[in-house]
Amino acid sequence: MSGSRLPVRIGLPIGVGALLLAAWWIASAADAFPVGTVPSPEAVGRGFVAEARAGRLLTDVIASLYRVGFGYVGACVVAIPLGLLLGRSRLARTALLPWINFFRTLSPIAWIPFAIIWFGIGDPPAIFILFLATFFQLALATAGAAAGVPRVYYRVAEDLGLGKAEILFQVTLPAIMPQLLVALRVAIGVAWMVVVAAEMIAVRSGLGFLIIDARNGLRMDLVVVGMITIGAIGVALDAVFARLARSPAVRWGYER
Amino acid sequence: MTAVITLDAVGFGYGAVTVLDRLDLEVRRGELLVCVGPSGCGKSTLLALLGGHLAPSRGRIERRGASRTIYQDGGLFPWLTVAQNVALGVPRGASPAERTRKVDDWLGTAGLAEFRDHYPHQLSGGMRQRVELGRALVAETDLLLLDEPFSALDYQSRVRMRRELAATLQARPRTVVLVTHDIEEAVQLGDRIVVLGARPSSVRRTLELPAGRRPRLPADPGVAEAEQIILDELGLS
Repeated sequence: MSGSRLPVRIGLPIGVGALLLAAWWIASAADAFPVGTVPSPEAVGRGFVAEARAGRLLTDVIASLYRVGFGYVGACVVAIPLGLLLGRSRLARTALLPWINFFRTLSPIAWIPFAIIWFGIGDPPAIFILFLATFFQLALATAGAAAGVPRVYYRVAEDLGLGKAEILFQVTLPAIMPQLLVALRVAIGVAWMVVVAAEMIAVRSGLGFLIIDARNGLRMDLVVVGMITIGAIGVALDAVFARLARSPAVRWGYER
Repeated sequence: MTAVITLDAVGFGYGAVTVLDRLDLEVRRGELLVCVGPSGCGKSTLLALLGGHLAPSRGRIERRGASRTIYQDGGLFPWLTVAQNVALGVPRGASPAERTRKVDDWLGTAGLAEFRDHYPHQLSGGMRQRVELGRALVAETDLLLLDEPFSALDYQSRVRMRRELAATLQARPRTVVLVTHDIEEAVQLGDRIVVLGARPSSVRRTLELPAGRRPRLPADPGVAEAEQIILDELGLS
């Protein structure tokens, strides 16, 4: 598929989307759904236009991206060094891996009560939830990648006289980059998925809040507006990582 | 002839498994020493000890000077291009211009100039080994340690690489320790051949081969005899 021509790469998914839209439209026009359960495409379209014109949609998108950005980048900043330590130190693995696995299996939603008590209202509790949603899996993925770096690279680095910092930046990080990029790609998807839950608490903006607020007002058309916007941004974020994965600095990891 | 590395009753093990036992060996300056032995006898471990990558469990190793190791496959950094990999081998004090000149010179000599911006996975096995050899050679270190460097190659590439190695050493003599399971390769290239026994291994026999052209041909003096002795020592005759 990666080698297919641009019109096919873009046209095919758009065609599938048009088919789904047509099916939705026909089912709505034929009153196939019980009243109030699925909004019509026209209602969703009107909702889109109204939210965009009022500027609320853009504000919500920015608010959600801001929280996901902070939570995700914060998780990367802590999880990647921790993962490198876990990958290179048997002692650190023995001490910390069971605990990371313990916390990894807890749903970020379980932390909501603590998030509110510890961080109050506003952005911090949502950012905390988004941090937790990505931190543990990123740490584990980095640890796995770092532990799997072939020993021969380190022996070559010793021969070349590289120092510890040079080995980190010129050997370990480039060596784990293909796997790390996959983990980062999965993690941004998870963070974006969890944004709805994170914005259920103590915030009054964001796409998650839009969905919760619309549900409370029984505005299912706006719920779908929020869902479509989240999905579209998710696809765009994934496309950024897919583009990064084509860089020569990491492509070797997928082509060997 | 002065010794570059001396091993004195060296032992090494991984946990409870003893790999090398009371191994005495001297690597002489300027020679091409070949170590042959059965599979799993610790040839690569011996090379890692010689390169200073492992410390002996027992005994003493005296190393004089730095070394560069060339591995069977996968010793190149796959995230760097051919030119970048070779440039890493240039001594650290070199200026950027000198570094570029050395890399370009070597790539030209090795016939790899047009592949300078390729990544290792885009090259054939023989080309990768040539690049790895280049990274070691631009360092100007006297001691090269070769860990079955040609064993992953097809027969024709292997023969070609042996010739290239011999020509390179003729142009600029160095001390080389070559570990191989290939008896033909050992007798074609070695000045001295050390035959290791099964694990826990020690030196079973040391052979000196007559000086002359390299790679030697089957009819050259001493070749057939040396092959037979090695086969006998390995219990393969």
